[in-house]
Amino acid sequence: MKVKVVTKILEANERIAIQNRRLFDDAGIFVINLMSGPGAGKTTVLEKTLRLASGLRIGVIEGDIAGSDDAERIERCGAPVVQINTGGACHLDANMIFEVLGELPLHDLDLLFIENVGNLVCPAEFKVGENIKVMVLSIAEGHDKPLKYPLMFQESSALILNKIDLAPYLDVDMEKIRRDALSLNPELKIFEVSCKTEAGLPEWMDWLKEKTLKR
Amino acid sequence: MHELSIAQNIIEIISEQCIKSGFSRIESVNLRIGRASGVMSDALLFAFDAIKAESVAADALLCIEEVPVSGRCRDCNSDFAVEEEYILACPRCGGNSFRMIAGRELDIIDMEVS
Repeated sequence: MKVKVVTKILEANERIAIQNRRLFDDAGIFVINLMSGPGAGKTTVLEKTLRLASGLRIGVIEGDIAGSDDAERIERCGAPVVQINTGGACHLDANMIFEVLGELPLHDLDLLFIENVGNLVCPAEFKVGENIKVMVLSIAEGHDKPLKYPLMFQESSALILNKIDLAPYLDVDMEKIRRDALSLNPELKIFEVSCKTEAGLPEWMDWLKEKTLKR
Repeated sequence: MHELSIAQNIIEIISEQCIKSGFSRIESVNLRIGRASGVMSDALLFAFDAIKAESVAADALLCIEEVPVSGRCRDCNSDFAVEEEYILACPRCGGNSFRMIAGRELDIIDMEVS
């Protein structure tokens, strides 16, 4: 006998993501799911953001397969932080976030960053309750990335093109990254940034503040 | 990359539905998976077969219909499908103002039970 199911396979995750979002909305907090491949500079972008964010109260959830290095780095910047170890899972899901929300002073924050596991594929597929997704791509990863990993570029509201100070040493075609990323997602906001020289960070901070306060 | 957790979700959903409908065995399941969903059919079939034992889906066959990526152009108002997992421009007018209308599916449609 045939039985109709008609269910989204990720329905359970989406239900919890909606529940998280409601908690964030009630606390009046703007939430960014920060994604990239390993080593693109997510944590360094966060350290810089925390140091430059005058007037914004920011909390961080760190997601890694193992270890607490990132949470320790964020703690040294003085921000409330929780480390999640996924124990092998390649992405954060909504339930992992729900389980640690009690450890953060949500009502005393304006902005929460959820730093996802370093992976250019899976994190883009799972909602965790965020308002927007932002991705980091270091130019050392090469100009072929937008077309090889289209989903993350399509899902993100902003792309931080990091490590532009390395441009003189690389054969990377930054214009191609820009062109392909914008073709995949015409609304994508692109910031060319160097966390080393701090180039481009003021523009990122202005956008971030506007998004957070206008949400 | 996470086909195993997808397979676990499928088994949970279909087992619950099967038992709720008063049956004890799932013979086959039909899925619809978009090409831009990030899920590889081969890996999903492998994962499903690896973990289905000891569930009501132990003998179940997974049938996957792959859905091509398609879009609707805001410039020329046409609907189109593409071969790739993404859309770069409208194949008809070359415009790049479009909306993806299919290709992200990750759905269980129905199943055969006994």
